[in-house]
Amino acid sequence: MKITVRFFARFGELLGNTREIEAREGISVIDLVKEAASGNKAGFDTIFDEEGAFRDFVIVMRNKKRIRTQDAGSIPVGEGDEIAVFPPVAGG
Amino acid sequence: MMLFGKEGQEHLQDATIFIAGAGGLGSPVSMYLAVLGVGTLIIADNDRVDQTNLNRQILYRDQDIGRRKAAVAGERLQELNPDITVRAVDATIDQNTVSSLTRDADGIVDALDDFPTRYLLNSAALERGIPLFHGGISGFFGQATTILPGKTPCLRCIIPRPPPAEVFPVAGVTAGFIGMIQVTEVCKYLLCRGDLLAGRLLLWDGMQGRIEEIPVETDPDCEACAGKYTAIS
Repeated sequence: MKITVRFFARFGELLGNTREIEAREGISVIDLVKEAASGNKAGFDTIFDEEGAFRDFVIVMRNKKRIRTQDAGSIPVGEGDEIAVFPPVAGG
Repeated sequence: MMLFGKEGQEHLQDATIFIAGAGGLGSPVSMYLAVLGVGTLIIADNDRVDQTNLNRQILYRDQDIGRRKAAVAGERLQELNPDITVRAVDATIDQNTVSSLTRDADGIVDALDDFPTRYLLNSAALERGIPLFHGGISGFFGQATTILPGKTPCLRCIIPRPPPAEVFPVAGVTAGFIGMIQVTEVCKYLLCRGDLLAGRLLLWDGMQGRIEEIPVETDPDCEACAGKYTAIS
């Protein structure tokens, strides 16, 4: 199934803004994002920590609704879903 | 002013807004609030003007380099509008000062560049029951939302853990763009008009030319606000 992953701001600069992923049935949100980010180590490391969990400031949305990143390993992605990954920015 | 009517302009004139920071966001925010006619502006910063600020901190000019930002900001805002009161405070916003700096304010504009201090502003807004107009910027990216204590998620519900400090430079236009969203929010709030960015986080990607918004929800386990505050009137 084809899933769209969108990366915002710095994540998008490192990984590309939109990635179309051909994903297996039942893949979880976190595994899908890992697959989408796997091509760029700097990008991957900006989003995930050493244990492979989402860094605690990362915001993840599924079909424009925010999901708790702690739950991303147990939330499956479905055909046609759009996952968006976004870093809040701190400058002023 | 015809746009707001006499009554609207009086609302603005009667208001006191605290602007936290006189840097990239604080510059356009304070200048537009001044010319809008917000009666009292309190602006705080503890820094000096540096040459590297001048691409975005439009309160300052080349000849201001080395001067205290608060002093220059006070002069410039008063020049822009002699009919308002400007209180420019040369101070660090921290646990000891946040309460006195925000005491008289009807609203707080977040023009800071770090999240730990933003969380102090968030707590001050919650304690006082006044809105916090949040903005954050980096490069050609920015975000903004309006926090209404008791009615919307607080800043800590939305961004519970601080993102890393910015190491990338901010484009001047980004400060201008997000700053104008913040000023628009302040204006609507004071005039009781329009729809605020309440419970909505606006994301701007200048490079892609896209604006998105995401609905944000109150975190029942929020460290800052969970169950502690009543709605503002």
